[in-house]
Amino acid sequence: LDIIIGGALWGAIYSLIAIGLNLEYGVTRILNVAHGEFLMVGAYVTWFFFTFYGVNPLVSLVISGPAVLVLGVLIQVIVFRRLVHLSASGEELEFRSLLACFGLMFIIQNVVASIGRLAKWPPGGIGTHYLYETIDLLGQRVQLNLIVAAVLSMIIGVLMYILLRSTRLGLAMRATVEDPTGAQLVGINVLKVHAVSFGLGALLSALAGSMLVMIYSLTPFSGPPYTYIALAVIILGGMGSFIGSLLGGFFIGYVYYTTLTIEPLLPMAIVYIFIIIMLIIRPKGLFGR
Amino acid sequence: MLKSKMANLKILPIPLILIVLAFATQFLGNYYLSILRDALMWMALAVSWHFFSGLTKYISLGSAAFFGVGLYFTAKFLPPSANPRAPYPILPLVIIVLLAGLICFAVALVIGLVTLRLKGIYFAILTFGVSMVIQYVLKWWTVKIEGSAVGSSVYPPAFDSQTQYYSILIAMLATLLLTTFLRRSKLGLALKMVGENEEAAVHVGVNTSLYKILGFAISAMCIGFVGGSYVTRVPYTNPDTAFDAKYSFLPAVMALLGGGGTVLGPIVGSITLSLIWSYLQAAFTTYFLIILGSILIVIVLFMPNGIMGIVEKLRSRLMGRKELTKAPKMPP
Repeated sequence: LDIIIGGALWGAIYSLIAIGLNLEYGVTRILNVAHGEFLMVGAYVTWFFFTFYGVNPLVSLVISGPAVLVLGVLIQVIVFRRLVHLSASGEELEFRSLLACFGLMFIIQNVVASIGRLAKWPPGGIGTHYLYETIDLLGQRVQLNLIVAAVLSMIIGVLMYILLRSTRLGLAMRATVEDPTGAQLVGINVLKVHAVSFGLGALLSALAGSMLVMIYSLTPFSGPPYTYIALAVIILGGMGSFIGSLLGGFFIGYVYYTTLTIEPLLPMAIVYIFIIIMLIIRPKGLFGR
Repeated sequence: MLKSKMANLKILPIPLILIVLAFATQFLGNYYLSILRDALMWMALAVSWHFFSGLTKYISLGSAAFFGVGLYFTAKFLPPSANPRAPYPILPLVIIVLLAGLICFAVALVIGLVTLRLKGIYFAILTFGVSMVIQYVLKWWTVKIEGSAVGSSVYPPAFDSQTQYYSILIAMLATLLLTTFLRRSKLGLALKMVGENEEAAVHVGVNTSLYKILGFAISAMCIGFVGGSYVTRVPYTNPDTAFDAKYSFLPAVMALLGGGGTVLGPIVGSITLSLIWSYLQAAFTTYFLIILGSILIVIVLFMPNGIMGIVEKLRSRLMGRKELTKAPKMPP
């Protein structure tokens, strides 16, 4: 029962991170390996406002999210827009943007670490440890913040789904995924859609980070594992598939949590073995087109 | 006539460079020797990586898997000479490094057999995943099966700076010779054809799968050699340091910096980047990764064809003027 609850709660959070990564890749064709860094930045923003201004971590979701959204849009406009112009083929763009993302990863991690050093933030990592008490859930002791984070993740996920399905922006985004040239022909500003999608992906990651920092301590270098997990989720669910990310998130959440309880050293290996098997059998993912 | 003169000029520096490298220990201090040694190591990695991924454009981000296997295997089977109760027979370093390379060859063969039908970003993710899986399984193995503490390391014997330098120099020369030789063989041509147009290669009867798997395995073997000889340099090693993701990314970055598709590209790129790296690390210890990340982005944004691309451009501008005057006017 511990596994069922734990897997579901972590699965919800992983889904949120993966939906963000999927949005970035699906629309812009940029596999953002610096995705976990946005998560970390979101966590730091939340922690900063909590520690120095006493802002409730849940309220500061409204601060950290938009802040990172702006960061994501800026990065997309400054770096990746030029890359799209430079690259002759889609594959070339994918590879070059992968390298650029690694550069970005180094920069973001070390900028935050340097600021932390200068400002004398705790070097061992930061955490808001908000709502740390445990409560009874179906006979299991579960941390309240984990439940809150999971429920909020799902709410944000549903909101994102509504945004994609029934707004003009969502329609434009889906059209761009289907056929960028066609979308441009019918008057969609593809450049703008790319920037907004990248920003929204970053925003989702940042929100997840803001919630994770209630549960765990994070350091400037805690981002990559979440990127790897999100990568596993979107490979499993299919790149560009919203439902795939959602269900894949829960699946990976269960796999990760189950392995963690049985054999604490192996979860990452198992997650990656899943990716490899998936890539060999069905590279498009379960719900990929 | 001009052409043969040019060819002579091109070959002339090679023996000179070799002599300088061979006697570098005589006139370089330990510090500069270590920088040169690391530059040579990165060069060997970039050249090996480029042999497969540069030619075929199948981007592998799994070099760390083979580097780590080579390094860890060698460290494991090279017990400190002070340890009389060494669990394994004491073999000379060369043989262990060769064995490590062969193991990488076999591992890559297996990976290649199941995965080379994947393309583009999927292949990149897969190779990266393989390296992660080996790293974590090895970690689990050392703790659960061998019963060592979490995070414990293997301590190979210490080597003096000359041995360090020469073992890496030899590994570098070996990979350079092997890949240069194979590039001109049928295998190299087939790999290049895959990179240019795989479908066409299949249609003219090239067994692309066979050559791709073979090329990948040979590239992995060379990386294994380099990893194995790197054991002389490290005081200790464990799965986390041996499979560090930088061994996957940097060879690719260096080859890209130098310019893909050329022989000199990975060599120029790796030397440039590793020298910049050494300088930055010494000069700006705390901020050097920020600078490095920025350099990476600048390269990707402003030098899409790498250093060799710029050199080519300059040369064609210098030579081009003469040729343009002679060339007949082409219809548009």
